[in-house]
Amino acid sequence: MQHILDELEKRRDQARLGGGEKRIAAQHAKGKLTARERIDLLLDEGSFEEYDMFVEHRCSDFGMENQKFPGDGVVTGWGTINGRLVYVFSKDFTVIGGSLSMTHAQKIVKVQQMAARNGAPVIGLFDAGGARIQEGVDSLAGYADIFMENVMSSGVIPQISVIMGPCAGGDVYSPALTDFIFMVKDTSYMFVTGPEVVKTVTNETVSAEDLGGARVHAGKSGVADGAFENDLEAMTQVRRLVDFLPLSNREKPPVRETFDDAMRDEPSLDSLIPTNPNKPYDMKELILKIVDEADFFEIGKDFAKNIITGFARMDGSTVGIVANQPQVLAGVLDIDASRKAARFVRFCDAFGIPIVTLVDVPGFMPGTKQEYGGLIKHGAKLLFAYAEATVPKVTVITRKAYGGAYDVMSSKHLRGDVNYAWPTAEIAVMGAKGAVEIIFRADIGDAEKLAAREAEYKERFANPFVAASRGYIDDVIKPHGTRRRIIRSLKSLNHKVLTNPWKKHDNIPL
Amino acid sequence: MFTKILIANRGEIAVRIIKTARRMGIKTVVVYSEADADSLAVEMADETVFIGPAPASESYLIADKIIDACKQTGAQAVHPGFGFLSEKAEFAQRCKDEGIVFIGPNAGAISAMGDKIESKKFAAAANVSCVPGHIGEIADTAHAVKISEEIGYPVMIKASAGGGGKGIRVAMNRKDVEEGFPAVRAEAKGAFGDDRIFIEKFITSPRHIEIQVLGDKHGNVVHLFERECSIQRRNQKVIEEAPSPLLDPETRAAMGAQAVALANAVGYDSAGTVEFVAGQDKSFYFLEMNTRLQVEHPVTELITGLDLVEQMIRVAYGEKLAFKQDDLKINGWAIESRIYAEDPYRKFLPSIGRLVRYDPPAEGEHGSSHLGAYTVRNDGGVREGDEISMYYDPMISKLCTWAPTREAAVAGMGRALEDFHIEGLGQNIPFLAAVMDQDRFKSGALATNYITDEFPGGFNGTVPTDFQTDVMTAVAASMHRVMAARARTIGNGLAQRGVREDWVVFVDKQERTVTLVDGAVGLDVVLSGEGRTLSLTETDWRPGKPTYKGLLNGRAFTVAVMPAAEGFTIRHRAAKAQVVVLTPHSAELHKRLPAKQAADTSKLIISPMPGLVVSIEVALGQEVKEGEIVCIIEAMKMQNIIRAERDGVVKEVGAKAGDSVAADEILVEFA
Repeated sequence: MQHILDELEKRRDQARLGGGEKRIAAQHAKGKLTARERIDLLLDEGSFEEYDMFVEHRCSDFGMENQKFPGDGVVTGWGTINGRLVYVFSKDFTVIGGSLSMTHAQKIVKVQQMAARNGAPVIGLFDAGGARIQEGVDSLAGYADIFMENVMSSGVIPQISVIMGPCAGGDVYSPALTDFIFMVKDTSYMFVTGPEVVKTVTNETVSAEDLGGARVHAGKSGVADGAFENDLEAMTQVRRLVDFLPLSNREKPPVRETFDDAMRDEPSLDSLIPTNPNKPYDMKELILKIVDEADFFEIGKDFAKNIITGFARMDGSTVGIVANQPQVLAGVLDIDASRKAARFVRFCDAFGIPIVTLVDVPGFMPGTKQEYGGLIKHGAKLLFAYAEATVPKVTVITRKAYGGAYDVMSSKHLRGDVNYAWPTAEIAVMGAKGAVEIIFRADIGDAEKLAAREAEYKERFANPFVAASRGYIDDVIKPHGTRRRIIRSLKSLNHKVLTNPWKKHDNIPL
Repeated sequence: MFTKILIANRGEIAVRIIKTARRMGIKTVVVYSEADADSLAVEMADETVFIGPAPASESYLIADKIIDACKQTGAQAVHPGFGFLSEKAEFAQRCKDEGIVFIGPNAGAISAMGDKIESKKFAAAANVSCVPGHIGEIADTAHAVKISEEIGYPVMIKASAGGGGKGIRVAMNRKDVEEGFPAVRAEAKGAFGDDRIFIEKFITSPRHIEIQVLGDKHGNVVHLFERECSIQRRNQKVIEEAPSPLLDPETRAAMGAQAVALANAVGYDSAGTVEFVAGQDKSFYFLEMNTRLQVEHPVTELITGLDLVEQMIRVAYGEKLAFKQDDLKINGWAIESRIYAEDPYRKFLPSIGRLVRYDPPAEGEHGSSHLGAYTVRNDGGVREGDEISMYYDPMISKLCTWAPTREAAVAGMGRALEDFHIEGLGQNIPFLAAVMDQDRFKSGALATNYITDEFPGGFNGTVPTDFQTDVMTAVAASMHRVMAARARTIGNGLAQRGVREDWVVFVDKQERTVTLVDGAVGLDVVLSGEGRTLSLTETDWRPGKPTYKGLLNGRAFTVAVMPAAEGFTIRHRAAKAQVVVLTPHSAELHKRLPAKQAADTSKLIISPMPGLVVSIEVALGQEVKEGEIVCIIEAMKMQNIIRAERDGVVKEVGAKAGDSVAADEILVEFA
């Protein structure tokens, strides 16, 4: 018997070595950890159970029959994050560059299917060279099988991708189909076609980092939802994110014991809104002061900074926060901001996470760049997302809520459950100056008269009471009590029932 | 006594005066500008009068508005505080003419002391020691040598019209004068077209010591001992104390007597300060007299038990001083730290903005510096959420500690600074704490060039001491334990391994293995391999709290803790570190990850604050010299000039006029 056990151990040891010590050393030299080391950091200590450790590819073309490694370039299985089930696959760059073969794909599909069936997130760690060209169309078929599972699982279980090395060509589309993409700075990049092809086709010279590095995708393209300094930080932060999320759409978001006081007042919020209406303030201060323990996991921190999205907890329960950031572009809604927030709202709605919206929005961004870019349709995405969402929606207007943007930002009219305004709110079609110039066009040129009209308009509309008098605002609240009021509202919405009409699916303006 | 007084000031000092007035049963009127409409002083005052736009020149400095406000509210007297109108003789006179009592000295005394030359004449006449020197014509080098030798070396040879470091030379001996005199004369002629030269005693490593005087309208004047204000940065006082560690009773008495003599000579009838420059040999020379309440008056109050504002009000009303010189004694030691809105890590650049968090230490007696009990006083004029605006002095508050000995007062100040938590803007608390921790400061060897001597390369924080490393290790381990235990509570049925109690803690690069054990009263952090245990007791931390207070092996500490992407950033006084708590296996992997090279920012000019780009003064490819203006950023309506910190050629311009930029955003990159 003993020799059989020894044989198992021997085979396991061999599999754990992946592409061998030399390649592992090379991986470390690049500032990257190995596929298994990453899993160790991601999952609770000792909780990882590996599947398909002994799987090998079956390709015999181009001498591949002599290049076999148990596991075939991807480590798959399941484990726990703070005691909660998650499925994992982690590409092993040390094995044939982590390239994707048919068997490699089958391993991934296996955990994807188990995750969907058992209602648990899938976390994919990417560090691979793309398709295994030697396998030809089999490799492409493998990709498509993974994509199919990604799509079928979308909205059923959270899917998280972390790019921790190269991710190019076919490899990019699985992450693109998942809910969140994170990248590691300096060691990861992502693109459909690499610098060499770019050079050949367009004669453009660009480095991998400048074409698809973490900074590019987290800041410019918005493809990535965050970028981290190194593998350890990335794994720690993914654990933190998972703690906020329900494991599937079949369960409620998790409730975690909190050390914060649900009744906590924040007197300093009473002076958050500057006296000068054109002066910015930091919306993040409001977020950090009203959520539990100032703990806020921001999604898309470096992209479209004029809108803030992310997860927090209120009295222990997860909420999604969407907030205009007056500090950046005055908090205006533009194409990027609309896309970013729309996607976030839809994630929350899919997984039953209540949405808290903090509004200070001067409108939609004007200009040819925006209009040519299709602002109409992109802005409509956010409108659509808020309108269709059936999760609890609590809204607080802190200052400006102008024009169409007022409607969009989780207004009463889009089935906002509880809509509050601070006394500093200005709910109107537009700012006083612009409004007066239209209504009193005849007076243009008479500065004195116009100023008087402006003051009159301000007095009449630059407040929350007109909207409140019509019931569009449920209550005007004091800023210092915002946390308490939101928590009470969310509790009252705990058993909210609201469904949309049956449809095959909607037709959001993509 | 007055029934209502008006305070022609703002901020901390307005609040300070209101407190005393309240105690005396006097109603207060506070005037305020647009920027101060929601200030603490306005909230506390019985009545308020709006006096115009934020700039002081359009509000607090306009005498008419103050006088009108008095009339409108029926205030019988005006306390000017310090700054603004406090040393304007015309204003004091105007009050008198209007039948309003000026709570300060008579106009004659203000104008006599307000003029530098005039005040020196008064001083000389009152036998106050002035810096030995020669002001008349100096014929030639031989004459210069003769004068220098009469004064005694070292001497300073200075062009009358000199300034900006030009036309000044220090001579240590005869040879230096022989060389220096003609050189300075030539330089003066060339630079200023004026070759008049004067020679005066040069005081090596001077100290700033001042005597508080107090007079009434009946000819009585006493002094309330000295304050030492040698810790200065660019002539701005930063740390003050009373008494001075330099003085002995004889010198103190001599200085006090001179200050009183000067006050008598000008008919001084309020609180005032006679400033001296002192040599390390306890020689002292008159500098000037400040005819107002000083910013640093609290340290005098703490060692004398007197309320100077109350005394000013009483003598202004006409009361006689209720005590004589012999009744006054020094009790204990007091230190004041000025908390400024400036970023010590960024060359002390002003860092105005919103006080997102403002949590000062509790006032009153504290039992727990390791050197005994101390008392805290914090003179502030702000609340959490208030704005430190560009329009006025960027001082946030004045933190004072008192204890029976200097040693205990300094230790107490260190603790009080730990307990002071501010977020939202840069502040100099870490810098002040660094000074408190310096042996030289503790020894009392002060000088006005202390800061340039001790921080020649600017301030970059300090390296954690063993105690600080221990604190950081224990604090991080204990926080991690709380968070790890709580994180388990969201598990849903899958078995988890037992709670781990052995961890590896990295304080920056320093690695330690610890085992956590519940102690009898707190948490014991056993340092494996060191044979020591860190015992953590009386802790007050919970997740989300930005400070962690407790006792480490019985010694009190408070640290600032900020969650980082991995672990925490922990600051104790001036020492800051990244602290990470990991399982032994994760620790191995952590070590495998190469330390990232901090981005080379020496080639970058980054925005020191969020704001609006007014203009970029350089273009692509332009050669720029150190100190040249690169960019102007408007923040809070105030233009901030960003200068090149080194020579270079502009490689990239990252912003254009009209852009809003965040703090740390790249403005210009050099090749």
